[in-house]
Amino acid sequence: MEAETIKAEMAINRSSVWKRFKKQRSAHFFVWIGLMYLFVFAYTPMFGILMAFKDYSIVTGIKGIFTSEWVGFRYFIEFYNEYKFYNIVRNTLALSFLKVVFTFPVPILFAIMLNEVKHLPFKRVVQTVSYLPHFISWVVVLGLAFTFFSSHVGLVNQVLLAWGWIEDPLPILTGSSYFWGLAVGSAMWKEAGWWAIIFLAAMAGINPALYEAAQIDGAGRLARIWHITLPGIKGTVVVVLILTIGSILGGGLVGSNFEQAYLMGNANNNDTSEIVQTYAFKVGLAQGRYSYAAAIDLVQSIISVILIFSSNYIAKRFSGSGLF
Amino acid sequence: MIDTANYGLLLVILFVTAYPFYYLLITSFNSGSDALLGGAYFWPSDFTLENYKTFFNDRKWLIALGVSVMRTVIGAATGVLFTSLIAYGLSGKDLVFRNFYFVVVIFAMYFSGGLIPYYVVLRSLGLLNSFGVYIIPAMLNTFFLLIAISFFREIPNDLKESAYIDGANELTIFYKIILPVSKPLLATMALFMGVGQWNSWLDAAYFVRDENLRTLTYRMIEIINKSQIPRESIAAAAGASNVTSYSLQVTAMIVSIAPIICVYPFLQKYFVKGIMLGSVKE
Repeated sequence: MEAETIKAEMAINRSSVWKRFKKQRSAHFFVWIGLMYLFVFAYTPMFGILMAFKDYSIVTGIKGIFTSEWVGFRYFIEFYNEYKFYNIVRNTLALSFLKVVFTFPVPILFAIMLNEVKHLPFKRVVQTVSYLPHFISWVVVLGLAFTFFSSHVGLVNQVLLAWGWIEDPLPILTGSSYFWGLAVGSAMWKEAGWWAIIFLAAMAGINPALYEAAQIDGAGRLARIWHITLPGIKGTVVVVLILTIGSILGGGLVGSNFEQAYLMGNANNNDTSEIVQTYAFKVGLAQGRYSYAAAIDLVQSIISVILIFSSNYIAKRFSGSGLF
Repeated sequence: MIDTANYGLLLVILFVTAYPFYYLLITSFNSGSDALLGGAYFWPSDFTLENYKTFFNDRKWLIALGVSVMRTVIGAATGVLFTSLIAYGLSGKDLVFRNFYFVVVIFAMYFSGGLIPYYVVLRSLGLLNSFGVYIIPAMLNTFFLLIAISFFREIPNDLKESAYIDGANELTIFYKIILPVSKPLLATMALFMGVGQWNSWLDAAYFVRDENLRTLTYRMIEIINKSQIPRESIAAAAGASNVTSYSLQVTAMIVSIAPIICVYPFLQKYFVKGIMLGSVKE
C-alpha cells in the first residue's frame, strides 16, 4: 500500500521534472555547450594525468593516453633520482614558505596603516597607486627588475656605486644568493596593494562606535588597533590564510612562483631558481618528455590538494569557520 | 608621533611604487646611448623621440602589437559573450539538474590536469601555432561565470515574462533583454579579461611558433634577455644609432603599460567588488 503511494508520487515527480526540463530546454542547451567546453578543456586534461603512469608518446594524441603501456611509478622514481631533485624541492618549498611569511602579513599591515590615515585624498592617492602593479604583466616586472637591478644599467647599482657604498655592481639578477629575496620582494611590490583592498573592506565594516567607546575608556592608538581593528578583520584573515596555505606551492595568494622562477631564473641563478613547475615545464615542453613531466606536475598537485584540505580542517577546528 | 611615522612610511611606499613607472617613462624619452651612462633620474638628460620612432617603424614590433591588440579585443569579446551565455543558462532558479551542473563547474574550477595534459589536448585539437590558441581556451572563465550567474538572478523576472508572451525565444531574450541591462557586469568582465589577454605571455612563448603570431609580451621577454648581455647594449651604443636594445626595451614596456593606465580608472570602479567575490570563491 505504502510502496504504491511512493511509486505514484515518484511517477508524478518524474513527469514534472520532464515537463520542467522540456520547458527549460533552451537554457539546458546553453548549459550543455558550457559543459562540453569544460569537458574538453578541463576534464580531458584531468584524465590526461594517467600519462604520468604510462609510457606516453605525443604522436598518439589523446587516444594514446588510454592505449599506451602502463609503467607504474617509473617516472616518479626517476624524478626522485634526478641529480637536481634536492635543489628543486628545496627551492620550491623555500620560495613558497618565504613568500607566505612575508606576503601574507604585509597587506594586512599596509591596510592598517592606510586605515589610520585621516587625510582622505592622501589615502586615496596611496591606495590607487599601490594596486597599479597588480595589473601589469610579470613580463613588465621582469623588465623593471632589469632596469633597476642589472649590473650594467640597473639604477640601484648605479646609485650605490656613485655613492661609493659598493665597489662592484651587485649581481642581483644573476647571483644565486639574491634570487629568493628578489622573488619575495617583487611579489610584494606587485601584489601587496591589491590584497590590502580586501582587508580595508573588512575594516570598513567595523562599527565606529567601538573605536569611540575605546577612546573614552582611554585606549591609545595601538591599543585600538590591537583590540578592535585586528579582531574585526579576524574572519577575513582566516579565509585569506586558508587560501594562502592551499596555494602555498604556487606562491601563496600572489600565485607567482612559476612566473618569477621562469622569467627571472637564468643559467646563473639556476641552483636557487629552479622549482618543480619550471622543471616540469622544461622537461615536458622543451625536451618532449611528457610522461615524466606529467608525473612531476602531479606530485605538486597532490601536495597542494592535501594542503588546502588540511588547512581548511585546522581552521575549522580552531576558529569555527572554514571555506567548505 | 605615530602619525608622522605612518605618513612617512606611506610616502616611501608611494615612491617605491610610482617611481619605477616614472623612471621608465623618462628613460624611454632619453637617447639610448646616454641612458647607459646613467644619471638621468628625474628628467631625460638627452631628450629624444628616436626610441618611439624606431619602435613604431619596426615591422616586428608592429606585428607583435597588432597581435596583442587583436587577442585583447577578440579575446575579451568572445570571453564575455560565451561566459555570459552559459551563465544565463545556469541562472534559472528552478533549473532541473542545477546541483549537478554546479558541481561540474566548481570541480573544474578547483582542480586541473596540469600543464602537460593540457598541452596534449591543445595539440590534438590543432590549436597549437594558431591565433585560436589565444582565444578559444580563454572563452569560459569559471570565476566570472559564477559572478554572472548571481548577477542574472537579480534581474526581475517580469522583464523576461513579457518577452515570453510576445513569443521571443531564449536567445532573443538573452540578446535583447538580458545583455542590455547587464552593462556594468559586461564592462567588468571585458576589462578584466582584456587585461588578462594583454598581459598573457606563456601561451605566446610555448603554444606558438609562427613569428607572425608573437605577442608584445613575447617580444619583450626576447629583448630583455637580449639586453641582459652587456656586450649587446654597449655594441649598439657604440654604433651610429642612438637607440639601444635597452632603450627599445624600456619603450616597449611603456607601450605595454600605457593602455592599462588608460583603462585604470574604469578598472578601479569595478574591481573592489571583484576581489571580494574572488577571495571567497577562488
